[in-house]
Amino acid sequence: MTKKLLQGNEAIAEGALAAGLGFFAAYPITPASEIMQHLSAQEGTIGYVHAEDEIAAMNMVLGASLAGCKSMTASSGPGISLKQEAIGLGHMAEIPVVIVNVMRVGPSTGMPTLPSQGDIMQVKYGSHGDNYPIAFYPNSVEECYRYTIEAFNAAEDAECPVFLLCDGFIAHLYEAIDMVRIRTKSRKRARKPLGSTEARHFTGLLSKDQMPATKDTKRYREWHRKVKAKVSKAARSYQFYEYQENEKSNTLIISYGIVSRMTNELKDKYSLFRPIRIFPLLDKQLINACSKHKNIICVEMNDGQYAREVQALIKRDVVSLPILGGNITHAELVKGIDKILRSKKHGR
Amino acid sequence: MAADGYINFKRFPTPWCPGCSNGVVMKATAMAFEELGLSRSNIVVVSGIGCAGRTAGFFNTDSVHGLHGRAIPLAEGIKRANPSLHVVVMSGDGDLLGIGGNHLLHSSRRDTKITVICFDNEIYGLTGGQMSPSTPKGVKTLTSYYGSHYPPVNAKGIISANSRHFYARTTVAHFIHMKNCIKEALSWDGFSFVDVRSTCISNYGRRLGFKSPSEMLNKLKIDFKMQSDPLCLREKELGIEKKDGS
Repeated sequence: MTKKLLQGNEAIAEGALAAGLGFFAAYPITPASEIMQHLSAQEGTIGYVHAEDEIAAMNMVLGASLAGCKSMTASSGPGISLKQEAIGLGHMAEIPVVIVNVMRVGPSTGMPTLPSQGDIMQVKYGSHGDNYPIAFYPNSVEECYRYTIEAFNAAEDAECPVFLLCDGFIAHLYEAIDMVRIRTKSRKRARKPLGSTEARHFTGLLSKDQMPATKDTKRYREWHRKVKAKVSKAARSYQFYEYQENEKSNTLIISYGIVSRMTNELKDKYSLFRPIRIFPLLDKQLINACSKHKNIICVEMNDGQYAREVQALIKRDVVSLPILGGNITHAELVKGIDKILRSKKHGR
Repeated sequence: MAADGYINFKRFPTPWCPGCSNGVVMKATAMAFEELGLSRSNIVVVSGIGCAGRTAGFFNTDSVHGLHGRAIPLAEGIKRANPSLHVVVMSGDGDLLGIGGNHLLHSSRRDTKITVICFDNEIYGLTGGQMSPSTPKGVKTLTSYYGSHYPPVNAKGIISANSRHFYARTTVAHFIHMKNCIKEALSWDGFSFVDVRSTCISNYGRRLGFKSPSEMLNKLKIDFKMQSDPLCLREKELGIEKKDGS
């Protein structure tokens, strides 16, 4: 019997250790603090800094990653906003790091102790310039453990910042998991750490042929094409999703995180699609699942952030059912879906 | 030139204006590396943003050029991931004392073993000459039309507020002194800060009425005197104030 009762946040910390975490820096924030508290006990075994602010924490993990450690930070919406500039540096200088975002109700301080899914757009488009973050969103404590390891692997493959999303609900949920049984191999670091004779220069500026800066547009386009291709190639190895087709139904419900555990109760009535790698979008799988259904409903704890992304992908109407953050009930979910399907435009 | 091996001449020219003193600090640092016998593969130079922020790329060592104000946390991450490296931050006054002031406060409190070399030219030179946190009171800049209303930041005060500290003040007009300060800072077992008073003729000095870079250098020689008390560094004095307490 190797099962352990763990909280989502603790499972993320344990997953990071299993993936070979070498450095962790963060700033306390509800509802992500338990990740930091759990890793604080590892100080000495891994590098650990309780940073002065979110910005410092993000810059420290970038530095530690360049120096050869697998590095992670953890925060929530307001903290992620502060980290966004440094996340851009991670994309430009191609630095693998994992950023955990345990979402709470915003904007601003909002309702910090209650769960939400309001940072979907922030994760995809939050940093400046064109960049292509990879993001995973588990929906159980076991998955928190498993996909933290996968997030580290994806970061190593794509050489860029990777998000692990969670909501305040899953992060604080306790479930018994068997960590011994979950076998997910962790990738080794490919790039040589800082401290070589090669005089390599890692910079947020666009560089060319190891020259520190360039204003060459052609070089910028070539760099952009290369990075975009590298990330999408790496992401292909991480196409995680769950699709439960119900042949009796012409309605597909898309949901993720805690909401997907609520919609799972409706599997006898509708088809269900749950993206786990939420970015880049699982284009083939989503297009395929949507093509078999007349009505597409995206249920999420925000005002249709993912629904708009899916709609742009499949070029068809996706009805958004926002169950806005805070305390949510199964009854309002069922009522919301019924109301959409009763309306004139959509019908069984 | 001595210490050539530490400078990456392949990446020259630097983006600095004629008469700029940044290259002098770079040379003094390279010479300090050589005199201490540090191996190139054991040094990482980290910079923030600004004229001085471009220094990192011209060293013949691995280097990182990060974000505005965030050179110190970037360096701290590198140092904590690999404590055997000599991690040197080279950046400007606006970067280290302004936007990055919080990191200076806390990294020095944590006594992280990194060396910070601050190119303090009292101005934001790269962006054209805007007021910096170390611009003296009353000085007119592009963003202080009526003259700065505030006294300059007290870097020594920030550093020496910690029970254990190393603070050195030197200028680009005192080359040997500057090199020795950097050497001592690199040898210090803890957080060390070298405040190098430097010059910017193009976007600062000429607006103040200086005719040439050498006039600015001479002003530094007139303004600053050598330390009179080895334990305490007074205002307008050059030297080191350090304390090895707990």
